[in-house]
Amino acid sequence: MSLRILVVDDEETILFAFREHFEPLGYEIDCAQELEEAEALLSHVRYGLLIADLRLTGSQSSEGLELIRYARERSPWTRIVVLTGSGSEAMKSEAMDRGVDAFLEKPRPLGELAALAANLLERTA
Amino acid sequence: MSSLGSTTGGGGGGGGRLWDLILAPEGLTTSFQPIFERKDGQLTVFALEALNRGPRGTNIERSDVLFEYVRRKRGEVAIDRLAIAASLREARGLPEVPGLSLNIHAATLEREPRLPAWLAEMAAEYEVPCKRIIVEIVEHAPPWSGRQFLESLDRLRTLGMRIALDDVGLGQSNFRMILDCRPDLLKIDRHFVSGAHADENRRAVLESIADLAVRLGAKAVAEGIEDERDLEVVLASGIGLLQGFLLCRPCSSKRLRKLDFMKRLWSEPLPEGYGDDLPDDPSATQEVPAPR
Repeated sequence: MSLRILVVDDEETILFAFREHFEPLGYEIDCAQELEEAEALLSHVRYGLLIADLRLTGSQSSEGLELIRYARERSPWTRIVVLTGSGSEAMKSEAMDRGVDAFLEKPRPLGELAALAANLLERTA
Repeated sequence: MSSLGSTTGGGGGGGGRLWDLILAPEGLTTSFQPIFERKDGQLTVFALEALNRGPRGTNIERSDVLFEYVRRKRGEVAIDRLAIAASLREARGLPEVPGLSLNIHAATLEREPRLPAWLAEMAAEYEVPCKRIIVEIVEHAPPWSGRQFLESLDRLRTLGMRIALDDVGLGQSNFRMILDCRPDLLKIDRHFVSGAHADENRRAVLESIADLAVRLGAKAVAEGIEDERDLEVVLASGIGLLQGFLLCRPCSSKRLRKLDFMKRLWSEPLPEGYGDDLPDDPSATQEVPAPR
């Protein structure tokens, strides 16, 4: 199982925090802020885990759902975690229907996310 | 700049942080990889293929990620104009070689009817004769056989340019495309070249494309040659145009201009493996690191 993780969020501070916390644990972290950037990476890089926000361009957007659909199609081996601060029940339901492994609401302790990643990647935390 | 419009004209792109970086001055970096021709037991340079990378230090520095990003943004026309301008600018002043290969998306040729005329103007501006230009058609998505696409190909031919079809054997670079495009060059994807020395089926594919090229009045190019044993198989298959790291890695124009390199590269037959003893050029010859 690849220990490479793609984190997709429009907030740079969140991406920074992921990098700071996960890289010392031995993960390779790539970060993307745009839907198309994330899709391009998923097309050419093999990731074990995708951690994605649902809204990348505003409070009413839903690029994350499109990204989940794309990841399921192009990178079926990649486990998917949604981490969002504004997901409605309808969006959660749709995300789960599209096959995400976990749907979490922000904020979340990084340690908890690391444990989840280790579990999904079948790795001892 | 061309009177037909700005370098980035033609629509598409849709904005965004990365897109702005691409459009910035020096947003794209151009290098050149020679395509060699084997004649009478010697290698000479047949053409230089211009290769472009995205902004340094970004996820799209890698060309494959860059062009996937561009396609997702539907920004093919804009990126092709930028890449063409950057490539011609870098090529200006290089000694003449028979060909300068420029990658252009099929979608650009379909969506932008003015592209052939614009390309000719840009070539004139950078003093590159049209007869040297090879338009290498990349991207494998519809509309491959759009009416405008085919008209643009005809226009490019009328201007004296040659047509190459990239990634032959994969995706949309199929027999129909070969018939529609009538390419001068069939570029065989590395998938069929790598490991051909140990795979009879790959050898059969190479021989069949080489034969097809001859019958269509075209030339076959083997891409991605990285192993001497594969090179031998490629040559034995009747393929005389060769490209790959084994022969020469992509070079910056600065490196190509170095006199000692230039003299040997252009004016004399080149021994196989030439370039191996040259010092590394960090700006152009190394693999782009994995995205961060």
